[in-house]
Amino acid sequence: MESGEYEEGMVIEFSANGNSMKATDVQAKLDEGNIQEAESSLREGLSLNFEEARALLGKLEYQRGNLEGALRVFDGIDLQAAIERLQPSLAEKTPSRKGRTRSDSQHTVSQHAASLVLDAIYLKSKSLQKLGRLTEAASECKNVLDAVEKIFHQGMHDAQVDGRLQETVSQAVELLPELWKQAGYYHEAISAYRRALLSQWNLDNDCCARIQKGFAVFLLYSGVEAGPPSLGVQVEGSYVPKNNLEEAILLLMILLRKLSLGKTKCDPSLMEHLTFALSLCNQTSVLAKQLEEIMPGVYHRVDRWNSLALCYSGAGHNNEALNLLRKSLHKHERPDELTALLLAAKTCSEDSHVAAEGVGYAQRAISSAQGMDEHLKGVGLRLLGLCLGKQAKVSSSDFERSRLQSEALKSLNEAIALEQNNLDLIFELGVQYAEHRNLNAALRYAKQFIDRTGGSIIKGWRLLALVLSAQQRYSEAHVVTDAALDETAKWEQGPLLRLKAKLKISQSLPMDAIETYRYLLALVQAQRKSFGPLRISNQVEDDKVDEFEVWHGLADLYSSLSHWKDAEICLSKASELKRHSAEMLHTEGVILEGRGQIQEALAAYIDALLLEPYYVPCKILIAALLSKMGSVALPVARSLLSDALRIDPNNRKAWYYLGMIHRDDGRIADAIDCFQAASMLEESDPIESFSSIL
Amino acid sequence: MSNDPSTSSILEDDQDTINSTTTSTITPTPTTTTSASASASSHNSSLSKCQSAVQSLSTILPSLPPSLSSSSNPAHTLLHDHHTASHISSLLRQPDSGAGDNNLCRWLYDTFQSSDPDLQLLVLRFLPIIAGIYISRAALRVPLAGFEAVLLALYAHETATRSGHSITVSVPDLSHPSLYHESKAPTKNNSTGLNLAVISPSLEPYGTVRSTRRARIVGVALELYYSKIHEMPVQSKIEFCEFCRVWAGQDGEMYKEMTGSSCSSRSESKEEDGNGEKAGSIPLPWELMQPVFRILGHCLLCPNQNKELVDKGSEACRSLYARSMHDINPKAILVTGSLLRLTKQALDTNDDFDPTEIPKSRIISI
Repeated sequence: MESGEYEEGMVIEFSANGNSMKATDVQAKLDEGNIQEAESSLREGLSLNFEEARALLGKLEYQRGNLEGALRVFDGIDLQAAIERLQPSLAEKTPSRKGRTRSDSQHTVSQHAASLVLDAIYLKSKSLQKLGRLTEAASECKNVLDAVEKIFHQGMHDAQVDGRLQETVSQAVELLPELWKQAGYYHEAISAYRRALLSQWNLDNDCCARIQKGFAVFLLYSGVEAGPPSLGVQVEGSYVPKNNLEEAILLLMILLRKLSLGKTKCDPSLMEHLTFALSLCNQTSVLAKQLEEIMPGVYHRVDRWNSLALCYSGAGHNNEALNLLRKSLHKHERPDELTALLLAAKTCSEDSHVAAEGVGYAQRAISSAQGMDEHLKGVGLRLLGLCLGKQAKVSSSDFERSRLQSEALKSLNEAIALEQNNLDLIFELGVQYAEHRNLNAALRYAKQFIDRTGGSIIKGWRLLALVLSAQQRYSEAHVVTDAALDETAKWEQGPLLRLKAKLKISQSLPMDAIETYRYLLALVQAQRKSFGPLRISNQVEDDKVDEFEVWHGLADLYSSLSHWKDAEICLSKASELKRHSAEMLHTEGVILEGRGQIQEALAAYIDALLLEPYYVPCKILIAALLSKMGSVALPVARSLLSDALRIDPNNRKAWYYLGMIHRDDGRIADAIDCFQAASMLEESDPIESFSSIL
Repeated sequence: MSNDPSTSSILEDDQDTINSTTTSTITPTPTTTTSASASASSHNSSLSKCQSAVQSLSTILPSLPPSLSSSSNPAHTLLHDHHTASHISSLLRQPDSGAGDNNLCRWLYDTFQSSDPDLQLLVLRFLPIIAGIYISRAALRVPLAGFEAVLLALYAHETATRSGHSITVSVPDLSHPSLYHESKAPTKNNSTGLNLAVISPSLEPYGTVRSTRRARIVGVALELYYSKIHEMPVQSKIEFCEFCRVWAGQDGEMYKEMTGSSCSSRSESKEEDGNGEKAGSIPLPWELMQPVFRILGHCLLCPNQNKELVDKGSEACRSLYARSMHDINPKAILVTGSLLRLTKQALDTNDDFDPTEIPKSRIISI
């Protein structure tokens, strides 16, 4: 290797023992291959011993980039012997734990010798590394650490160790895992990392932080499972990570803590690694906490809000997410940031109360989707459609509602033209058409969804069955439900079995329905027993059938069969699981009414409404009862029914009873209209509400 | 070494030895060739299994590498033989490859069932192609029983290894002391404050692939693949990255310069149209996405990187990022966004600072 390359690091002179000496002569001798001569001229010139001279020469060669030469020089020293000579000199001075009786001068001399030897081994290791002889490099480097551990029994403390020695030790500690890693010996690398971090090396903050980060990154991405640390290092009562993810997260959190205390330099990649790790564990709420703890100034506030919003949204905390997005999308901040707009619109599309706000975000997203973001335009349109559809549900007038619904469909259709591959969108179009009672279109999309997903998503099957049931094609709906049950594992069959039971009822097969409910009940109870609260993540997570629902469904079924006794038993079972619910009071009222206890029934219905003022079925039942009580009550009944229809304009029963009242009042034309509406709706009524699967 | 590497073998492998009687221990060190097995008898049985596997493979493939007969570990030789891999890959990619009577699927199934760790690795090496093609074809109503048999075998292996248990992570909380730090706050109660996260739910045994469980079964097979990923040849990981792009169904090239310079003219070569759009864009539930992200993280940021792998991994990651944006999936946006930024940082830093280098001085002194 040419020394010219190393102009910058050119050595001019040596100095030791108060003397100094020009380097040129020695260099010339080395270049001729005369190590001995170079060595002896150094020994004479600077009054050094053999090892000292060799150490200086090795360093010179290393610094000149003559690595082979450096190795030749170092090979001349018996480093192992030197280490062994060192051990007693330092160690026997401290036979007892408390004794630090050795004199200072002795101490310095020994440390000086130690430093010289360890430095030489370290440089040998570095030379080997640069020559690509990584395994040898690693074992030399390990020698440094082993020697240090032998020399300093009780760990290194800054008071006792001179700067130069400390520096070499720190470098060796940091180098060793790196070498094993480069050599592909990953388990050795893990041990080296743990040794670096768990023994007392008196590392400075930056060095320790670098090793911790290196280890965290290694744990996260190497794909080698480290296994828990050995029992020896585990302290009673402290947290011991048991797998790679835990250990990496712990280290990253510690690093971020150091960062916020100002102990280490700012490093944005720490947060990125932690984001990766915690998101994989579904722990974005913990990630949010970490983000909040970061000192202001590291991230721009809008970036921080947006990241936090993603975290909260990922953890299902939609309100927090939306509040943050409102701030970041404020006109004085970054009103056009597309990701934030899309996330805000999506969050709003899930809640009818903020759907109108979501329409605004979606519209802004569509106009911001330009240039390299143009591909997201379809997503904006899709969200616009969803928000409009949701907004339609709470609109105050029929006119408004139908306007919003058709706008929603229009947007979704524009979206599908751009997003032909978006499976969610296909499904949403199906539901939207179904709610709009365009059952043929709904059927088309439901089938398409099942085809494109290969039947892998349960809600697709349910939509298809519901659409078929709305078309009164019960036996086909039944076939679809059975096919879906075949494609579903036992624990996820709940919603499908419920659907099946309701289909049986619609097909006037109450006994089969009871049988299905019984099976469902057994399933739900077994599920509750075999999985604790830990169970997560399956597809039906948000739509799990609970035991209450089953008992309540059975109670409804028995009461429709006028089996009052059985109905009451089921109802009491249901009430054990949920104390107050409008549905239960509803069924209770039906049973009472069936037994002729009209006043009590009425009281139950009214109680239900007190509990849930928008509970439509009870409004209708009260109106039905009132309408039989003579003409005085008719206006009240009528207003209850119009109220019910405002909330649920597709309720055929409400139309029917409204028709009855008109008839009783002698408004025959109005009555005919209502009956017509009722009969039309009956022909397109699904057995469960379409919105139940969204 | 204070900590012998062979004692710190993976937890799963410890359990594996309970389940399988024939294998000695699986030591996931890079030196598998030397640490094959402890006792001579199990070595012989493993060798005979290998030989019979090679024997039946030779009836399927046109040729096998000549070095195989002299190899002391034929499974290992096959695993790293490029020629054999590309033969098998092209057979797997044929239109009728996944059928129940397919020879190759049969071979993969039998070979994995041999429960010889080296042979199992060899089968796992082809998981990216099997899973990739299988999932893409699942919606096309073509026979796939052969692929399903292999995937179910992997799923069953993982189920047995874990005894069906879920894999959890208790997320640390710095207010408790740990082996890497001390806590100033007095610790009253250890168990409080730790969030328990389930990263892979408990496993039920399955005899068939029900369509709603397809993603889970493939996901678990990918978890198994991930646990052996450091032993996989680069080519297998590259194939995985290529399928990620297909699965994502989005072209992520617009995110090439995700952070930094303004986007220049895009050269949009829509290959997807050529392949037919149906092939791409599959449903990506979290149970499938999560193992995909772990594998992708490895491809992009593992030690001793391979440039081609990083390139392919970046492409896959960009596509998945685009897909996450289309789905507005916050967790996936966070993961893929972070991976993209980390990869970019790794490429951008031409930081020469090496803390283990000694300072250069003009005067060398003692």
